[in-house]
Amino acid sequence: MQKSRGDIPGIAFGGFLILLAIVALIETRNLTVGTAADMGPGYVPRALSLVIMAFGLVIAGRGLFTGRRPLPAIKLRPILSVLVSLAVFALLLPRGGLVLATLSTMACSTFSSADYKWRESIIFAVIITAFTVVLFVYGLGLPLAVWPRW
Amino acid sequence: MGLFDNLALGFSTALSVQNLLFCLFGVLIGTLVGVLPGISPLNTTAMLLPFTFGLAPTSAMIMLAGIFYGAQYGGSTTAILVNVPGETSAVVTCLDGYQMARQGKAGPALAIAAISSFFAGTVATIVIALLSEPLATLALKFTAPEYFSLLIMGLIAAVVLAHGSPFKAIAMVLVGIMAGLVGMDVNAGVPRLTFGIPDIADGMDFVPVVVGLFGIGEVAANLEIPQDRSILSAKIKNLMPSWADFKAAFPAILRGTSVGTILGILPGGGAALPPFAAYALEKKVSRHPERFGTGIIQGVAAPESANNAGAQTSFIPLLTMGIPTNPLMALMIGALMIQGIQPGPSMIHDQPALYWGVVASMWIGNLMLVVINLPLIGIWVSMLRIPYRLLFPAIILFCCIGAYASSNSVFSVWLMLGWGALGYFFNKVGVQPAPMVLGFVLGPMLEENFRRTMLISGGDPLVFIERPISATLLAVAAALLVVLIFPAIRKKREEALQE
Repeated sequence: MQKSRGDIPGIAFGGFLILLAIVALIETRNLTVGTAADMGPGYVPRALSLVIMAFGLVIAGRGLFTGRRPLPAIKLRPILSVLVSLAVFALLLPRGGLVLATLSTMACSTFSSADYKWRESIIFAVIITAFTVVLFVYGLGLPLAVWPRW
Repeated sequence: MGLFDNLALGFSTALSVQNLLFCLFGVLIGTLVGVLPGISPLNTTAMLLPFTFGLAPTSAMIMLAGIFYGAQYGGSTTAILVNVPGETSAVVTCLDGYQMARQGKAGPALAIAAISSFFAGTVATIVIALLSEPLATLALKFTAPEYFSLLIMGLIAAVVLAHGSPFKAIAMVLVGIMAGLVGMDVNAGVPRLTFGIPDIADGMDFVPVVVGLFGIGEVAANLEIPQDRSILSAKIKNLMPSWADFKAAFPAILRGTSVGTILGILPGGGAALPPFAAYALEKKVSRHPERFGTGIIQGVAAPESANNAGAQTSFIPLLTMGIPTNPLMALMIGALMIQGIQPGPSMIHDQPALYWGVVASMWIGNLMLVVINLPLIGIWVSMLRIPYRLLFPAIILFCCIGAYASSNSVFSVWLMLGWGALGYFFNKVGVQPAPMVLGFVLGPMLEENFRRTMLISGGDPLVFIERPISATLLAVAAALLVVLIFPAIRKKREEALQE
């Protein structure tokens, strides 16, 4: 019987709420709370944390005692490579310039999907990079370096 | 000023060459993203937001509004031709529209979709023009307690109309409010919840949060679903619907427009809910409900008119009171504030050219959609041949550049990464991020009005029910909560959202 219980998404969401409330309570521990008539900066965030905590406890608690509902399947490859693509862009842009950052981001995200084809992806990436540079740097005048500066 | 003077001012603003061009650009981009599944008007608007900084406020708003209603229109094209809803609002159009296309009636289906949208757009524009003055005048009487109650009612209405568990949706609103509190406390000048990070000392930027949640999270979730697209290659002939089609569709257009207009004004309504409601209503009043889904013209006319009417009237709360009713309207507020315009009841008097220009541009944009798009359908359909595996790296790239451009700092890209991961988590545990975004935008307003009220009343919460307007608003909010709690009504709501 043990195994047939537990709404995993519900428990995970409830847990997230509890965690969020705890983090917020710790972060706001030094703020003045004040009174209802004269609230300090800490009043609303701390009150809100407690309400969120209550919601989290109820949602997670209800999840523990309802029927089994598993988490939907998670494929690591898409989400991880999407996040890595963003990180690559953020890391490369300041010193590597727009061209390098764009090409690397396109390359990383292309691998998120299993059915990429080398030739078309490379051609497409080059076209988009050229388009990006022309549109954003020359057209819209964003203050971005185009080429790497070491 | 009378209504006609206002509209005349609006049209003279919207008809300037520059504004016409931005309107055209907006509706074309909107149609394009409407056609392409996987790109929503929300993340397109978020991506384009930084590029409107350099525009005049009126042009920026005209373009962004064009993207929104253009997307509703584009979504129906692919729904009819390919059975792929480009937007959630077009899901219902697939049912009968695609069946019509399979019977060789793609032309009339597309034409009726266009005509219904245009009719609904015209009516919605008139409704906006008529309601603006009285609503703004009413809202000018609002003080802190009324605003607080209005915001509460808006948030609760958004929860009622959202899909899924209302309890979790309320939790998401609270999480959003918490995220909105990050940054400097206005009254005390103390940083809150910033973890000592200087980049968020003034609060988290809007663009990375929204693009992360909706753009990045969505892409990652889409990638897990195999993409399947088969294109109907039959040539579209005789575009004009017959007189009989027209007669059958007209009452459905009228009903769809009414449903859409009303639901659009409600918070949380926007463009996604009205087509479902309109389709359900059509089925109820029809003498042959069993024929729905087999390719009848009412099944296209009703949802199409409803979604366009809803898309447009959802601007009413934003323009008259400065309150966004859906995440996209929240982005519009961001766009206005960046331009240095505080959206709210005084906007209609302080910025009449902007206000009426945007209203008039909606009608012009709808006209453009009808005139330009029907001949361009071939191009839109060929866009669908671009496979998703090529499309999504470009989406990710433009999200990155959009986030960077919103603050000229790579910190925004990191922030977007964090929110993207969170969006993916929400997707997996089955909660909708939309109520959270509303909380995020309205949170600071909510806190400020709450604190101000409490300061005036000396900490007495009864003030909210002692003032008549505030009490009425809270009563509506309470009634909505009752709807959620009673199981019988709740079941009805689920059925209505399921349809």
